[in-house]
Amino acid sequence: MSDTISYLLMAWLDPGLFGLTALGVLAGIYIGAIPGLSVTMAVSILISFTFSWDINNALALMVGIYVGGVYGGSRTAILLNIPGAPSAVTTAFDGYPLAQKGEAGRAIGLSTVMSVIGGMIGVAVLAGTAPHLADLALQFAPRDYFLIAIMGLLLVSTLSGKSLARGIFSVALGAAIGLVGMDMVTAQPRLTMGSMELLGGIHYVVVMIGLFGVAEAFYQLHNMAKVPVKQKVDKIVPPLSMVLKFLPLSIRTSVIGVVVGALPGTGGDIASLFAYDHAKRTVKNPEVPFGEGAYEGLVAPETANNAAVGGAYVPMLTLGMPGDAVTAVIIGALVIHGLNPGPMLMIETPHIFWFTVGNLVLANIFLLIFGLTGIKIFSKIVEVPKAIMIPLILVLCVVGTYSLNSNMTEVYWMLGFGILGYWLKVFGFQMGPIILGVILGPLLDESYRQAMSSVGDNSMAFLGGLFANPLSLVLSSVIILVLLGNTPLKGWILARFRRD
Amino acid sequence: MSKKIERVQAGEKVFDWLLLLFSIGLLFEAYRIDGGLLANSAGSFPMGLALVMLAASAAILASHRYKRRDPRIRSAFHEFQVFLSEHFKIHIVVFTVVAVLYLAAINWASFYISTAVFLAAMFIYFRQGKVVSSLIITAAAIAVIYVLFTMVFRVYLP
Repeated sequence: MSDTISYLLMAWLDPGLFGLTALGVLAGIYIGAIPGLSVTMAVSILISFTFSWDINNALALMVGIYVGGVYGGSRTAILLNIPGAPSAVTTAFDGYPLAQKGEAGRAIGLSTVMSVIGGMIGVAVLAGTAPHLADLALQFAPRDYFLIAIMGLLLVSTLSGKSLARGIFSVALGAAIGLVGMDMVTAQPRLTMGSMELLGGIHYVVVMIGLFGVAEAFYQLHNMAKVPVKQKVDKIVPPLSMVLKFLPLSIRTSVIGVVVGALPGTGGDIASLFAYDHAKRTVKNPEVPFGEGAYEGLVAPETANNAAVGGAYVPMLTLGMPGDAVTAVIIGALVIHGLNPGPMLMIETPHIFWFTVGNLVLANIFLLIFGLTGIKIFSKIVEVPKAIMIPLILVLCVVGTYSLNSNMTEVYWMLGFGILGYWLKVFGFQMGPIILGVILGPLLDESYRQAMSSVGDNSMAFLGGLFANPLSLVLSSVIILVLLGNTPLKGWILARFRRD
Repeated sequence: MSKKIERVQAGEKVFDWLLLLFSIGLLFEAYRIDGGLLANSAGSFPMGLALVMLAASAAILASHRYKRRDPRIRSAFHEFQVFLSEHFKIHIVVFTVVAVLYLAAINWASFYISTAVFLAAMFIYFRQGKVVSSLIITAAAIAVIYVLFTMVFRVYLP
């Protein structure tokens, strides 16, 4: 017990960790707020710089950036109607109309407080459920991991992007990239096209930096001339009565955020959409209609996307499966530091778990402090012209990639992935599913082959096993439902039910 | 109830065909691993993935039946012209070419020199000739990169 408390308070008592968390949150707010910079991009680049650091220092900075970045996107959504991050898209629906009415300060203040409430609820759920889930996960068979990974990839492909086919293509492409290199079991080269250089595989950080950094820089070249509209900002701290008024809604949407965030492969963007939809359906008589500056439309997505941070850590730390794109990158960081994300993490290195929990709480406190202050300086900094930002992003991507293995070939690969990512983005493919595919693909391959070996390579026995065990049955059923839900069969069944 | 019909972007169909061709290429590569669709082998999962990609890219192509081309586009050649004008604007081409030259130059001109030249050139070009302020920003950026990456993070740079 005393060990747990000391791990929990580690980031609070160590001045270095305390400072790195604060720095991370502050940097995250700005990174999340500046359109064109994303938290995933920042954390991807950061991995390459911090892999020689002590793991706690690296994690403190990443946790800070993650928490700050998810919140930061809302600021530009409110002030400029440009969501800084995908999870802040719904915030702009009512946030920007509020700013146009001269209530930008109040909207930012309320979104800060609600983000912190959501974030704290997310951390509480993480601390309360993850140890039990990890115990349960120890009993999972390789077949169950295979099914969870399939479920995660399916959820990503169905919930993000404009079509299921594009989503599925993206995750499969990511998984194929993740498999390039020598097979770990048979040492056969896979998808290397005869190249010796590809035998070692493509480092996932190279793919991440290319897709999130370079592709975004190229994409931003289309909006070089866009000039943001400035807003007047005052009266930032919201009155207690206002916070209490929206507290019940914020608790409900936090729960939505945690649950959606905990589903492998989903994240704050999907959580905020669900929460906004929930608010629209349940708040019958808002003072102002939704879409025209309703505070409820601001509270719901802001609590949900920050609650999803804690939720996203649950599958990451207990199953080794990323909750969203950022946790996919953080898994990479843990592996680089020789840790084993998954149920064994709680047994072998419990201090990492409790340190993360304590660090998330600290990051949320810093979020409250930084969120309610310095907004005037903030509105100046986010106006950095793209003419300066875009070349700098490319330089950062080069430094980040080169520092991984001091290999210029990887830098060229990074540029290649950036150009590929640009075209995919132009034609409606999303980058998140590709990254999750890169991380989950090798895991899926490994668990599939272990599961097949456990039944003597008998395909029928493998298929039977998917429905024999209660957990496997539940997971298989969910996968089938998700698949059917995206086919015309769903409409046909619903029509039949309505007719009956 | 009217359903909104999606528009096909200029070049989208060609891109989707390229994805289908890529999937076929990947299927061939996966087949080469151990020569067939075995239940449990090094090639089984890549084969499965390639088949999924092939099916998904075929579905993407099939979805074009429910989309409509922009009515302003008159012919395939006109579509090509629109595609070029949308994605190959002069500043995008300049940035891409200079970026490639920059990456090529790092090896022989060192990181700091090539980065300084790249940043200065792009700032001056994008900011339409504000030479002095662009050079000051470049110098400041190089100083920050040096302090942050060489001194604080101790990153080895080319």
